[in-house]
Amino acid sequence: MAPLDTLLAGLARERATGALRVGRAGTIFLSEGRVTYMECAQTPGVERLLAARGRLPETALRRLQADGGCARLLEEGPVTLGELQYCVLGAVLDAAFFLLPTGGSRPKFRPGEQHWLGGQWFFDVAGLMRECARRRAYLAQIWPSAQLDTAPVRPAQWLPGSGVTLDSVQWEVLTGAGAEATPLDLAKRIGRSGYSVLLAVRRMAAAGLLAQSVETTTTTRAPEESATKTGEHRAKTAGDGQGALPQRGRVAAAQRPPHDPRAPGLPLGPPVTADPTDLALLMRLKKALEELT
Amino acid sequence: MLGLDDCLTEVMAIPGALDAMLVDQTSGMAVAISGPPQGVDAESSAAALTETLRATMDGLARSCPGETVRIDDMLVTTDKGHHLLRFLETVFEGPLVIYLRLDLERSNLALARYRLLNISRQLLA
Repeated sequence: MAPLDTLLAGLARERATGALRVGRAGTIFLSEGRVTYMECAQTPGVERLLAARGRLPETALRRLQADGGCARLLEEGPVTLGELQYCVLGAVLDAAFFLLPTGGSRPKFRPGEQHWLGGQWFFDVAGLMRECARRRAYLAQIWPSAQLDTAPVRPAQWLPGSGVTLDSVQWEVLTGAGAEATPLDLAKRIGRSGYSVLLAVRRMAAAGLLAQSVETTTTTRAPEESATKTGEHRAKTAGDGQGALPQRGRVAAAQRPPHDPRAPGLPLGPPVTADPTDLALLMRLKKALEELT
Repeated sequence: MLGLDDCLTEVMAIPGALDAMLVDQTSGMAVAISGPPQGVDAESSAAALTETLRATMDGLARSCPGETVRIDDMLVTTDKGHHLLRFLETVFEGPLVIYLRLDLERSNLALARYRLLNISRQLLA
């Protein structure tokens, strides 16, 4: 089965108009090959954003959807055209960020179908993909591990310093975080885009404001882990067999990004290439030393 | 009512305007740009501007203790021109930022700020 992005690129080439349903994960609405709206089950849509931010209750929106649609929404004036466009823009890019990488279920295309909030902004499919890739790279630059994106957000009990500045999303994440809510749960609850909450959570992790859960310290492996660390990794797996416990702390420290104050310093001198557990070499050394005496 | 696209047309009508861009501060994305870019990579300049704004916000938060920092606009003057940035607070996301580059000789800063304020009021009433 073709992945979602090639399917979408094909529909864009054919200048198709209609709705592409991706199982329960979401729906992509196209008009003449350009994306007009996108829904993703994981992220808050425009309706949810407007409701959670206190602009318009969801019942009122549903009533508008059935009668009058988008034109009446703008006419009655709870949102301006600029606001609605900006909201649709944010929601669609957010949905694309989470929906496009999935592709488990069989997508079904229904020609002609449109979303009632579509037509506010038109997205070029290639541009959409490029923006998603840029966003992904930006996330990784802030904090390399993707584990935080799906784990419950747990703020640290103590501040690692004496003061900290928070932006508005970080503040909302902090006040909304329980022990169980994941970043995407929080996004729906506070009415912010999923991506902005992911950004806030990763920035907070980089600043040391999140509690280190057990699984993050033991199993997280940074995706950009370079080949120079494989020696250490081998040492760890070799050590595990002999029940060597004290490795854990060091591995966690090594995973911190370089701007983290608690990250280990860069190694001095040329990198060590020998395997520290090279038994054969040790035996040869021992033998040579014995022969000396 | 002004849409995001028309708003840039209005911004470009300000005397001395060289180019303008709408930037989403959260993601660092260029939402709209005025005209064809002339040797400027809109994507990377939007991302770089976002970092500037973030650093400014952090710096101000530290230099005015006990205050919640809320920036209305920001002005940077270089030897070639003025750079005006207007923050538009929206309820759901953002802020949305209007970036405007002005000619040093032909522009009137006070007028440009006033016009930007008016445009932002029309955009998000």
